[in-house]
This record gives sequence, structure tokens and C-alpha cells, in this order.
Amino acid sequence: MATGADAREILGCGGDNDSGPLSKKDIINSDMKKAKKSTDAYKRPQGMPREVYALLYSDKKDAPPLLPSDTTQGYRTAKAKLGCKKVRPWKWMPFTNSARRDGIVLYHWRLVTEEGKDYPWSKYNKTVNVPVYSDQEYQQHLHDDGWTKSETDHLFDLAKRFDLRFIVVQDRYDHQQFRKRSVEDLKERYYSVCAKLAKLHPSSSNGAESYVFDANHERRRKDQLERLFNRTPEQVAEEEYLIQELRKMETQKKERARMAQDLQKLITAADTNAETQCAKRKATKRKLPQKQGAENPPVPETTGIKFPDFKSSGVTLRSQRMKLPSSVGQKKIKAIEQILTEQEVDLNPIPTEEVVQMFNDLRSDLVLLYQLKQAHASCEYEEQTLRHRHQALLKMGGAGTAVGGPGPDGQPDCAGAELKEQADGTGVSLTPSPRKQREWIPGSSPAKKIKRL
Amino acid sequence: MSGGVYGGDEVGALVFDIGSFSTRAGYAGEDCPKADFPTSLGVLVEEEGGGELGAEQDKAAGRTFYLDTNALHVARAGVELFSPLKNGMIEDWEAFQAILDHTYCKHIKSEPSLHPVLMSEAPWNTRAKREKLTELMFEHYNIPAFFLCKTAVLTAFANGRATGLVLDSGATHTTAIPVHDGYVLQQGIVKSPLAGDFITMQCRELFQEMSIDITPPYMIAAKEPVREGAPPNWTKKDKLPPVTKSWHTYMCNEVIQDFQASVLQVSDSPYDEQVAAQMPTVHYEMPSGYTTDYGAERLRIPEGLFDPSNVKGLSGNTMLGVGHVVTTSIGMCDIDIRPGLYGSVIVTGGNTLLQGFTERLNRELSQKAPPSMRLKLIASNSSMERRFSPWIGGSILASLGTFQQMWISKQEYEEGGKQSVERKCP
Repeated sequence: MATGADAREILGCGGDNDSGPLSKKDIINSDMKKAKKSTDAYKRPQGMPREVYALLYSDKKDAPPLLPSDTTQGYRTAKAKLGCKKVRPWKWMPFTNSARRDGIVLYHWRLVTEEGKDYPWSKYNKTVNVPVYSDQEYQQHLHDDGWTKSETDHLFDLAKRFDLRFIVVQDRYDHQQFRKRSVEDLKERYYSVCAKLAKLHPSSSNGAESYVFDANHERRRKDQLERLFNRTPEQVAEEEYLIQELRKMETQKKERARMAQDLQKLITAADTNAETQCAKRKATKRKLPQKQGAENPPVPETTGIKFPDFKSSGVTLRSQRMKLPSSVGQKKIKAIEQILTEQEVDLNPIPTEEVVQMFNDLRSDLVLLYQLKQAHASCEYEEQTLRHRHQALLKMGGAGTAVGGPGPDGQPDCAGAELKEQADGTGVSLTPSPRKQREWIPGSSPAKKIKRL
Repeated sequence: MSGGVYGGDEVGALVFDIGSFSTRAGYAGEDCPKADFPTSLGVLVEEEGGGELGAEQDKAAGRTFYLDTNALHVARAGVELFSPLKNGMIEDWEAFQAILDHTYCKHIKSEPSLHPVLMSEAPWNTRAKREKLTELMFEHYNIPAFFLCKTAVLTAFANGRATGLVLDSGATHTTAIPVHDGYVLQQGIVKSPLAGDFITMQCRELFQEMSIDITPPYMIAAKEPVREGAPPNWTKKDKLPPVTKSWHTYMCNEVIQDFQASVLQVSDSPYDEQVAAQMPTVHYEMPSGYTTDYGAERLRIPEGLFDPSNVKGLSGNTMLGVGHVVTTSIGMCDIDIRPGLYGSVIVTGGNTLLQGFTERLNRELSQKAPPSMRLKLIASNSSMERRFSPWIGGSILASLGTFQQMWISKQEYEEGGKQSVERKCP
């Protein structure tokens, strides 16, 4: 494809506007330069928000488009503009490489403009600094009973040749002349010599790399690694199984802790409720119940029903105060209704001040009772399952692993858990201590409290 | 230098990769070799001397070499066929020189003294042979610079790795060579003779069992199409010269090699007669026109590569299957680099192009490798790259800007002697 520039060049009347050879910048960045120039004219006045400015002036001075229709600006691959300028001349020229000491002359293609410059890749010629020692230094400081001088020399020579790749050094080590050495042996010797030399010449640059090599630690690490890699698939599967079991146990433990907490809350709520009721009864005999709101200890929110306060909101019917708040679930409402009908209590009593108060309290207690009953049932169920499991494990494990017989209280499931733990062989204590468990195991206190209610 | 991403610098270097089966040669920086011809050459021992070659030794020995695909396939009386390489190392220097002369003259068509040369070598090459090769290149060909690099390292470079285990299954050997940071770990090399030639031998036995005659194309003047399984109907060329046995065997082997490439398949799992019987059969026509279908045989023969225990004619052998070769080699390396080696097992060599080879290898390795190890098999899909990978690696290496300081220059050779190859090319 011939362009105007080509034609001009052929005719010899070279266009003076685009003289000079092409450069990479011309090819790739030509679009960007033009875009910059055009935006310079409309500068945003100070203080004008960017959004407002963008509404006033788009880059092309048009009215802002109604639809996003950005076709000219934005990201697109820049087209190389070829053939509009003179090409840069390349030449097959000799070169020497400053990374080489022999000054060999090879030939390569290079830009004429870069002729005579240093070989661009010579800067990548990096070598590792391997310290050197004299004969005298070796005799005085570096002597080691396990190593001869010639062997140390050999090691240092290889270390230099292979840039401290000790695995390769060990591979190429002259094992016929010298005895067999492991990678750790070689490293140990090398770094101990380096450390000694660094002490001798603290001023030299080698002083910086005082690397302490712990050969024994390395050997142990490699042993471990070896063992890790030599596991059989069964062992790996077993390990995975154990880890899974461990996770299961941990989640169980958390679950139990959570349940215990919930139960504790219920129990304290029941306790406080019972106390206040007793107090109330006494108080009603003596005085009018005027100060009871202030005396009441705060009841935990999760238990009972919290009726909304109507005092602030204008005129209301008193019967509105008896309405159950929406937070009470359908199940609970049904349970309340059932008990009320069983006890032949009117579902909608006449809402006098006193009746409303008592009716609400009654229903709140009923919900609490319902929750306690539920908790009791679930605890009993849990106890049963654990007991069964314990017995099954006892049968399976035989008399040898038996820790304790099934007791009457919270003891059995704890023993069962311990047994399971031993069977798994994890040795990690996952079960809560017996004391803690007794707090929530249905045996004594919660049941009694329910009865008391 | 522009950018810095592209690190190439062309110096007009030549790359030679001379394997025991074929020779590859070409300019560094190109993506495939200019020349690819059989390493085996025909030799005619003459009484008088005066062969095609100008070198004086050749005249003294009185041998004429016929090499390259075309010259080799002409039937000539008394031409023996042999390979100058033995066990991957140069054995017959005269014939080797003939190969180089031919490459320079017919393929490169340029003066040896203008081009630095990078040559591949077997990882187990001996010091004496390396030095002799260096001497030959500098003294006889007068090249400006020389470098010797091990095939496994070049293969690793061609696959973009500096560390990896190179499994090279070629004609004569299957080898596993650990490469660490661009250096071959020589203590970890494992060799097994179960490779392409072994398969060829097995195929030959199969044909004998099935009493199928192998007729190389050079004997055939004309043939008629025949029904499947029917005896072939072909006429022999008249005036065939009395060829030698070695040449005839080579021609037969070429037929078998074609059969190998087009019919054989490695089964996914250890060979099972029942499963193999259900595999689809493959139709193959011999050069003589004889056609038949091959069923279970096509799976049974390559099975020997992976499970040599029940191969006929190798009873009581202790040879290692391909999977074992790899794991044994890695097992001999330092524990610290084993994950890196398992992480890049590079598969190369013409024999690995057998259908299903890499799949089976992958399966075997994942069973044998330690369970926690990450395993990755690197095998390029194109047969070009699989066959030429050492050459391609050499082409990449020799055209790198940073490589140009690695050459043994003529001056260095003159100062340090041929021993310099041992120091410069580890």
C-alpha cells in the first residue's frame, strides 16, 4: 500500500513536515498526542464541579448525548501508522560483549543509531560473590578434621561455577576422589568457612552475608519431609478422616455451649419471674401496686412476651394492650390458646386495668413455660441418644476402654464422649468438663423449676 | 534494545541436534529445523577410495557415505547401513563428520566459519567425547564459537521450564533426566531400553506370528488391490541390485515404523484381554497391498512400555516401565526439589507420540506419586514440537541476548585447549 509519503520519497521532493526516521513512539502514541491538544482549549473553571463541567462541555463541544454513545473516545487499540515516515536503518554489524573477557567478535542486526553502544545484555551478567582464602588463612583458621584443603578447594570451585546451587554442586561433586557428602554437609562446610572469613575480614563486602546454617535442623527437616512424602494413601485418608472428625466435634462443642447458654437464660428468667410473682402477691395484699414497675428486675428479652408500652401514644382502647405483639410466633399463640381453653380462662376477658395486667403476665408466663418444656424435651432426647451411643461403644470397645458406667445424672454422656475420643485417638479434649455439662443436663434444676411454676 | 520484553539477539548461530534416529539442524531463532534427516547412513567400502568427501581420512579409509533421505533410499549393491551414534554418543567420527559436511553443504549452504554452533549431546556423554567434538568443531570446521548443551536441558527450555523432569522416549532409549535450574542432575538419570526400537521389534514378531510378509516399497514395481486378508498381488522390480541385509532391514523397519505410528495405541488402564478385544479395529494396508484389521494387538504391543513383566522374549527381565523410570529418577533426587520435578514432568521424543501414551503415563504417575504431591505432565500437542523439542530449545537458547556470553570462543579454545568445554558447558 503506497501512501503519499512514499510517492514524495520516490519523486525526491521529500515532504519536510515529517522528515526524520520513524520511531516507536510515532507508531503507537500518535493518537494520544492529538487527543491531548484538543482538550486543552476548554479548561474547567475553578470551583465548578466536574459533573457540571461534563454536562456543559463534552470533548467535541456538542450537547451532551442522551444515550451513552461513546465511540470515538475511550479504549481502543491504537492503529500503527506505517509508511508515513522513513524507516530506521538496521545494519549487520560486529559487536563485542563486555560481559566476556575474551573480546570475541560476533555479528548481529542492530539499529545504525545504536552503533558503538555497549552490548545491551551485558548488564544482566551477574555473578555470585564466593569468598576466597589464601593458603595461610586456611592453615590458621579454616582447618577442619573432616575436610582436607583440596576438598574444600573443590567445593568452593564448584560453588562458584554453579552459583551456589548446592543441589547441582552435590550432583557434580567428585565423589570418587573425595568421600560421599550430602547437600547439608556441603552447605555446612561452605557457610562455616564463609562465616570465619567474614570474621577475619570484617571490612570486606562478604561481611554482610553472615548466614548461619544449621545443618542438623536441615537434616531433621528433610527427614520429616521424607516421612511426609512416604505416607501411604491409607495413612493420608486416615489423617483426613481424623481432621474431619475433629471439626465435627468442635462444631458439636460449640453447639452445646450455645444451647447451654440459651437454657441458662431461660432458667434465670423463670427464677426471676417466680420471685416477682411471689413479691407481687404479697404486695397486693398490703398496698396498691403502684411502684412495681420500678422494683421489677429487668426480665431477659428472649423469654416471655414483651408487651409494647402504650403510655405515650394518645388515646387508646385498653383492650389494645391485651393484643399479642407481632413478635410472638404462631406456635406460641396456639400453645397459649390451648392452655387457656384447657383451664377455661376467657380468651378475651373484660379489659379492666387489673385484668389486663394479670392477663398479660399470665400469658407471658405461659410462653416461658412453653419454652422451658421444649428445652426440657430436647435435653431429654439428647441424653437418651448419648446414653444409647455410650452403651453401643461399651459393647464395641469391650471392658478395656470402659471409663465409667452410665450414671443417673449428666455423667454418662461425658464418659461416652471420652470413650469416643479415645477410640478416635485424637487425644484432643473436645468435651466440656462434667461440671459445665451438669448445668444444662436435665436432671434436677430445670425440671424442678418447671414444676414450681 | 527495544522494550526489554523481547530478549532475543540474532547472531546467526546454527543449532545441531543429532539423535540416534534423526538429525536436526537449522538456524537459531527459527521455529523448526531447516534439515531433518535420518542419522543412519549408508556406507560403501571401496577398494580404490575417492569417495564424495574431500577430507583425507575418508580417502584413506576408502568409504563412500550415502546420507539424507533421498540418497539413503536408493537401492545400491553392497551398501551397508549403520548409525554413527551408539547409545546417544558419537562412535564413528568419520561418519559423523560426513553428516556435518552434508548439512553445511546441502542444507545450511554457508561457510562454517561464519556461524557459531550450538550442539546438543546426550546427558551421559563422556568427557573424552565432548573434548574430541570441541576439537573437531574448532580445528576442522574453524567455527567462531561453540557450545554444547544437554538435550534434556534444551527440551526443558523449549517447554519454558528451567526445572523439571524430562522423560525422553526416543528410538533407542527411554530416559528420565532431572533438570534443576538449567543443569542436569547426572546422579538421577534413569535409562530403559524400552523405546521405539523395542516396539518395532515387537511388531516384527507380531508379523511373523501372523505370517505377514513385510515388503519394503523399494522392491515393488506394481500392485493390485486385493480383498482383505487375501494374499497380496504385486510384482517385483526387476534388476534390483543385491542389497545388503542391514539396508533391507532398515527399509523394513521404516514400514513397521509407519505401522507403529498409524495403528498402535496405548490402553488407558493396564492391559486386559477382554477390554482390548472390544476396542475398535484399525485397518492397515502394507506397501505390498495386503490389508487386514488389527484389534487387540494394537493395544498389546505398546503395553510392554508400561508393564514389561509379561513381554515375550524378555522373561525374567528387570527392565523398568515408563512410569517406574520417572518415579525412580525423581526418587534419587534431593527431597527438596522433588515437588518441583513432579510439578513439571516434560514428555518428549517421537515414541511418546503413540496414541494414548501421555494419558496412560499420567494415570500411572498419579498412582505412583506420593499422594500429597502435585503432578503435572507437560506434553506439547503438536508432533513437531514433541519430536524437535531439543532443537527448538537450542534455537531459543542460542538466540537469547544473555546467552551470547556463554559461547566458548575460538580464542578461549586456543588459550584453554579442549578442556575448556568441561568448564564452560557443564
